[in-house]
Parts: sequence; C-alpha cells; structure tokens
Amino acid sequence: MERLAKLAMATTVALVAAAGSALAQVKELRIGYQPSPIQDASIAMFESWGAKNGVKIVKVPNSYGVYVEKMTASLTSNSDQYDIIWHNDDWGQTWAHLLEPTDDVNANKFADKWSMAPVVFANAQGQNTVVPMGQTFSVFFYRSDLVKPEEVPKTLEQLVTVSKKLQADGKVKFGYVGGMSMNNSWFSWFWSMWGNNCDVLLPPYERDNKKLAEAGWKSGMTEPCMQQTAEYWWDAINTHKIVPRGMPAYDRNEANAVFMSGDAAFTVADSLWWSTFNDPAKSKIAGKVAATRFPLGPNRARPFAWNDIWGWAIPKSIAPERKKLAKEMLEAMMLDEEGQLKLWKATGAPPPNTTFWPKIAAADPFMALLKESVLDSPDKVRGAYYFPQWPAVHKAFNDTVTKAVTGKREDIAKVLAEGAPLVSKAAQ
Amino acid sequence: MAMVMRSAFLPQLPPWGRKAMFALVLAAICFAFAFPVLWLILTSLRPESGVYYVHRGTEFTFGNFAEVLREDRIVEAFLNSALIATLATVFSLLVTVSSGYMLSRFTGPASRLWFGTIYVFRCVPYISWVLPLYFVNQSWGIYDTYVGLLLPHVAVHICFFSWLMKGFFDGIDPSMEYAAMIDGCTRWGAFIRVAVPSALPAISALAVLCWLFTWNEFLFALILTGNRVPMITVVMAQFVTEMGLRWNLMAATAVMALAPAFLIALFGQKYVIRGLRI
Amino acid sequence: MFGEQQRFVLLLIAPAALLLLLFQVVPIFIGANASFRNWALYDPKKTWVGFDHYAAVLSDPAFLYVVLPNTFLFMALSVAGALLAGLALALLLNRPFRGQKLVQTILLVPLMVAPVVAAIMVRWIFNDQFGIVNVVLEAVGLEGQPWLVQRWSAFGIILLTDIWLWTPWFTLLLLAGLQSLPKEPFEAAAIDGTTTWRVFRFLTLPMLRPVIVVCVVIRAIDAFRTFDIVWTLTGGGPGRATELFSLYAYVHAFLNLDLGRGSAAAIVGGLIILVIGVALFRLVDRIAKA
Repeated sequence: MERLAKLAMATTVALVAAAGSALAQVKELRIGYQPSPIQDASIAMFESWGAKNGVKIVKVPNSYGVYVEKMTASLTSNSDQYDIIWHNDDWGQTWAHLLEPTDDVNANKFADKWSMAPVVFANAQGQNTVVPMGQTFSVFFYRSDLVKPEEVPKTLEQLVTVSKKLQADGKVKFGYVGGMSMNNSWFSWFWSMWGNNCDVLLPPYERDNKKLAEAGWKSGMTEPCMQQTAEYWWDAINTHKIVPRGMPAYDRNEANAVFMSGDAAFTVADSLWWSTFNDPAKSKIAGKVAATRFPLGPNRARPFAWNDIWGWAIPKSIAPERKKLAKEMLEAMMLDEEGQLKLWKATGAPPPNTTFWPKIAAADPFMALLKESVLDSPDKVRGAYYFPQWPAVHKAFNDTVTKAVTGKREDIAKVLAEGAPLVSKAAQ
Repeated sequence: MAMVMRSAFLPQLPPWGRKAMFALVLAAICFAFAFPVLWLILTSLRPESGVYYVHRGTEFTFGNFAEVLREDRIVEAFLNSALIATLATVFSLLVTVSSGYMLSRFTGPASRLWFGTIYVFRCVPYISWVLPLYFVNQSWGIYDTYVGLLLPHVAVHICFFSWLMKGFFDGIDPSMEYAAMIDGCTRWGAFIRVAVPSALPAISALAVLCWLFTWNEFLFALILTGNRVPMITVVMAQFVTEMGLRWNLMAATAVMALAPAFLIALFGQKYVIRGLRI
Repeated sequence: MFGEQQRFVLLLIAPAALLLLLFQVVPIFIGANASFRNWALYDPKKTWVGFDHYAAVLSDPAFLYVVLPNTFLFMALSVAGALLAGLALALLLNRPFRGQKLVQTILLVPLMVAPVVAAIMVRWIFNDQFGIVNVVLEAVGLEGQPWLVQRWSAFGIILLTDIWLWTPWFTLLLLAGLQSLPKEPFEAAAIDGTTTWRVFRFLTLPMLRPVIVVCVVIRAIDAFRTFDIVWTLTGGGPGRATELFSLYAYVHAFLNLDLGRGSAAAIVGGLIILVIGVALFRLVDRIAKA
C-alpha cells in the first residue's frame, strides 16, 4: 500500500527531493529538540560554534507531548530530518540501535561516568550513543525563610511533623507539594519509594535487564515498603492534610505553581527549576528557596541521590559527513566552558563537563550542595528503567498507586496486589 | 425540562415578574456558556506572577499580548492557521458539494457504494490513522508542509459534509435541473448553474462551520506539522505543556485566536441557521 | 466505456474519492496491516502475528470492564445532555425577544474556542487550589473538592466540558430545523388554545424528529471516539477511572510505541461504532419513512 502511494505521489517526492538537495549544498546542521531552558542554553553553544565555523544551525522545535513517538518514527523510517536530536535516559535503550555510536567524541571522557553507563545508553555492541547536555535530576527544595537548615526534615515522618507545625503556625497552606500523575511519578512517588528501599521492579535499584529478567520481572508492588509508601501519601492527603487533596492528579507544572505561589514549604522538582523558582517575575518566593537531600522512609538510613542526564544523539541514518560535522560540534560544546557556565546560570542543572564542576561549586553554593549531596554521592539511583517497555511499566505502576491513594485506606494492600501482575506483565 | 417548569409556574407571576424571571434565566445561561472564555480573558490580562490565583490581586496588564505578538513564531502561526482554515474550507466545499449532489440525485449501486464508504470511514476513529498518516506524509515528502496538513483536513471533512450536502440537495426540488437540461443545459451546466446556486445557503453554512473546525483543530496539527508550519492551537498548548507555566501567554494567544473565530461566528450565524436544514 | 451519465456520476465523486483514498483509506490500511503484525515503533519487525493483538485487546479486563463501559456511558450521557440542552436553547432562541441576537451569539461561544484550550481552561478552573470553582464554593461556606482525583467528579467534568462544546451544534441544527417547520399547524394550535407543553410534545417534537435523529447519529459516532479533551483534562485518570476507548488506543500506540496493539484496539473500537451507527441509522430510516 505504501509503495502504491509512493508511486501516486512521485511528482511531489521529486519536487521535495529537488528542494532537499538544494539545501544539502548549504553547510548546516538540523537540531531536533524540545524548547526548555536547558536545551535552549545548550543550543546557544551550538550556535556560537556554528558562527565561528560557518555552519548554520537550524533549530527544529518539537512538541513534548509527541516528541518520542514522532522522533522514533522518524528514526525508523530513515527520514533524514535531523542531524542531532535531544536524547534522554528514559528512552536510551529504545533508540540505542537507531543511533550513531559516539565513542569517538573524545570529550565524552569528561562526562559523568554514572549517568553515561552502558546499561542506559550503550547499543548491543557496547558502544555509547549519547553526548551529555546536562545533568537532570530532582532535589528536595524547601523554603529557607520558613525552615532553618537544621530543621529540614530528614525522614518522611519529620516531613509530616514539620509540615503540620508550619501549617498550624499559619506560615504556609501546605507542607509539601509535588507532581503525582502519570509521567510525573518522580516528584512524589519515586523519591519517597526509593528513600524507603523500594522500587517498581525487584531487586530494588537494579537496572541491569539481565538481572531483572532473572528475577522474573517481579514487581515491587506487593512489598511491605510499597504499601508503606502508598499509605504515607494517603495519610498525608487525608489524615495529616499536609498536601493538597488534588495532588494525585497534579502534573509537575501544577505542583510547581503551588510552590511558586508560596503555598507550600517543600517540594521535589528538577534542579533545573532553580532559576525559575528564583525569578521574581514568575515566582513569589524568589530568593527564599534552598535545597537538600531527600527525606528517608523507615526502611532506609543511608541518604541516596538520583542522577541522570539529558543528552544529544545523532541518527544512524544520516550521511557520514554530517555525522562527522555533528560530532565536531558536540565535541566543541563539551569543551565550551563559558557556554556551560551560562547553561548552569540559566537553569540550575549541572553542566555536562565534570571538570568544570569544582570551579562552579567554589563560586556557587547551590552547585556546591548539588555536588556534595548528589553528584559525588556514592549511593545513586537511576530515574527510569532501560528497556523499551518502560513507558508501559511506568503507566501500570502509576495507575495502580493512584488508584490506591485515591481509594479507601484499607483497600490499599488489595489494590497494590491487583496491580502487581499488571506491572510485571507490562515489563515482559 | 426548563420549558415545562416555566410554563407551570410562570402564569402565576405578574407580567413584569415574568419578564424579569426570563431575563434572569437568560443571563444565567449566557454566563454559564461564556464563563470559560471570560476566565480566559481575565487570565490573559494578569501579569505572570498573578496567574496562579487569577481571582486574587488587582494588577492587570496588556503586556502579555505585546509579548506574544513580539514572537515571530506566533504571528506566523496565526497566518498559517488562517491560511489553512480558509483553503481547507474552499477545497472541502469544492469536493463535497459535488459528492453530496451525486448522492442525492443518483440512486443505484455506485451511489450506494459511495454512501457506504463514506459512512464506514466516518466511523473510523482518528487514533487509528493519525500515526499512519504521519508515515504516509513522510514517505510522500509532505510532512510539515502546507499540502501535508491541508489535504488530510479536506479528506476528514469529506464524509460528514457529503452527508450533510446530500441532505440539502434532497430538500431541493430537482425539477428545475431537469427543466434546465431540457432547455439544452448539460448535466454539468444544470449542476453548476441551477443546483449549486439554490444550495448556496447550505454551502455558506458549511463554510462557516468548516472554517471554525479547522481553525480550532489540534490533533492533526500536532502530529502532521513540526517546525516549518506552526499552527496556532499547537503553539498555544505549548505554552502550558512544555514551557512550564506560561498561563498568561497561552491565554493571551487564545484570546487573540478567539477574535477571528468570533467574527466568523458573529456574521456567519444567520447563514448557518438559514442553511443547516437537514 | 462508460455512458455519459456514469461519467458524470464518477466525475462528481472523483476528487472526494481520491482524497479519501490517499489520506484516509491508505493510512487506515497501514494501521489495519500493522494490527496483524509485530510492529513496535522503535523496532518494526513487521512479522505476521495473526489475531494476537486482537486477542490481547479483547481479553484485557481493563478494556472490557473499564474502558468500554466508560465509553458507552460517556457516549450516552454526552449525546443526551447536549441534545436536551440544545433543544431547550433552540426553543428559547426560536421566539423573538429583545437581545435575541446577542444571546444567540453568546451561546455559540463554545464553537469559537479550540477544544484543547477549553480543556486546559476547565482543568485550571477545577484545580483544587487555584480553581475558581473551589474558591466560590468556599466563599459560600461549602467545602472545596479535589475534582480530578475522584472518579465521578472527574467523569462529570469531562462530560460537562463535552456537552458545553457540542451544545451549540445541536442548538444550531435544531434552530434551523425549527425555523423551517410549516407555520399552519402552530397557528391552528394557537387558535385552539393548546398549552405550550402540548404543542411541543405533539407538534414540535414529532416534526423535529428526523433532524434530532440525524444529530444523534452523527454526534454519537463522534462522542464514541472523543480524545483530546479527555486526554487534556484527566489523561484517563485517576488511575484508569475515566479512560475512554480512544485513550486506550493512544496509550498503546503512542506511549508504549506499540503500533500493532494500538491499531488493533482502534479497529475494535471502529467496528463497535460502525455497528452502533448502523443500528441508529436504521432508526433514522424507519422514522424518516414513517
């Protein structure tokens, strides 16, 4: 059918092909991305490199809602639309076989080893397929005008008590706020779960697909720690009332809005929101924000950190000379100290070159904090799973815990048990 | 139901009371219908830090409109949407007026087959074909072009509009066309000079609706366009789905997008009511 | 080869048929083809798997016991709601009063707004913290509700939004129908002094019936496949409590990147609408002939 259709539209194809080849004469690189402060800052580095080297940078913004599906379809159809695309750990393994290996980008040796791990980004031959754009992970933000550093909750239990006190004193409407709905699980569900030695699949924190398969893709839904986590949020909503009642339906934007309007004392959000939280035009709490480690649950005593990257990748299907040029540019971006400093300032996401970190940390206490509590932390967690069915697993997980937390408290165990086989099945 | 209640208790009221009651009910209905849009307008006038609690605070600003209009991409999106909506209206009517005429004037297997086809494809959910449509557009090299967005828009209207046009032509007595043909008109002449003019009210009704549909359409625009052909609905949604919380800017853009739709609806409604007689 | 009349007939539908073929039939066949194959977007092996995807969809308890009942309920309530509201408003607008034109324009407002923007606004209006609905409720001493995390209130909000969006359609079509009704029977009824209700019940309603049934058929088909407002308002949540059939297909095809399964689900849904549509359509025919 497709072939027949191709024939029917031969003229159009010829016309467009003519236009396409005319474009190929120009020295240019096409960037497929999604507008966001961190990507904009990274592309600014491409543009300054392009200006120096006579390469035109063509920015092709995509809508976030359909970015992965459209880009995936574009990659599998060898359509030659982009030379460099935004890449993310979440779909590291979904795309690995469709991407150009980037082992020969020399400056990748300066990248953070943990977040570039083969389990996330390597293809079947073990070659790396990404060049980092910046570190993207969440931290626990708190209102420095309401809570002294030594009073910041270190456990989930303290989060309740401190929140209740702040609310009772009329300082703030809610103790905590954070995204919870599908695709926003990280900002309440995941961190509280990880802080309680708990995970979506077993064993906890394992991301090696072989080991997960050996364990039969068993889900962590029926573990006591998961029930504790669900009950914790149920109580936070209904018993202690330290979070908005509508929170199970919140996305990250709504949660951030509550925090930025000054209605909550604590939140979990990506560190790249730091600059926005401190922007007086957008936020009523500018200058009153600080960050720290995640509070822990009863099952865990050692602090943990979560660390991932966003990155850039090169489609396998483009012409060799374009690949070469793209790699040159990525190499230059990795070494661009001035540009990476700007990226840090514009966002609050640590830049991709680790050798710049000590200098930034020396000048900026927020970076010092991130470096100490996250980047240099020995106990790290990866934010996603690295197999193509992960979105289905994530949805099954989120559907189950949302149902548990919006239902009756005594039904939580039952709902989690019903969801367990669904999570497990989605992974296979 | 409202009618029943009114007729039951209204007669007991004095005439002025009846009038006041009527006006009150009307005002309430109008308020309920316009509320989301009133809220949108209010949001568009709030400064960025005031959009969370739209109802709190008294700072108002036209700055959002200025900021939105400074962005070339949004201005471009307005022009694109207007162009696509207009072209889609013209082409949709061109192809469906003749198709509806055929369905109305001819019986037999061809007509039945065509009607069956239209009906079946009207039922197929969008979800099953937007993604394949993306492949099709890509393989034909028309992804992210005007043609690649325009033609699917026309195609999607074929079923519904052919169906409605058939209804309109059914209501028009064909004897005039026969008379024209006896006078030496060709079939085409009878169709174009006699049938089409008498269907003009219906055609203008469909034109108004088709324009509004395409102007406000989201899913096709999201899937079938990328960077080169920004459409206004996609650009609006981007303000709140990915650039964080630019409620004020989304609202400002949406209010501006409302203006042409409002004008079309304002001046087009009488044609719609006159023409939409199934 | 063809007679003059056949040529004319074919030429009349040729442009429409060509466009339909290229931009609807071809993509639908690609989707239908995918539904029989192992066709993950990231790794399109395209090996034949027969009816496996259909079996998976039809044996999925979530599809059978959550998604389908939700969809049918939504379809019935949305069509009924918009029909009743549209009928009431059409009757209201069909009588002359001062400001009739203004009221009519205001009632058409939902037609002017992009549904996706309307859904975004409604979500904001019903936000439990910032939303004006809770503010008003609390101002009059009632308790604000977390609208979107309770199944029935979330469902109700979706329904309300959909009815709001589509009522103007019914109003327009029914008003057009009302204005084309013959005057004589109504004048006769007025002379006889028949009550308003009896005129409506025994005169207006029977004469409007063909219009109503066509509206209902068309709208029912569309309501069954509603997607964007539900996706924006609740994403099918809380949990899967408000998941409709088109969201089910979307999640499989777009989120899980499984075009095969997503297409199979979409086709199952398409077949269901087709049957419902034919049944409703039979009704149209019978009523039109009666």
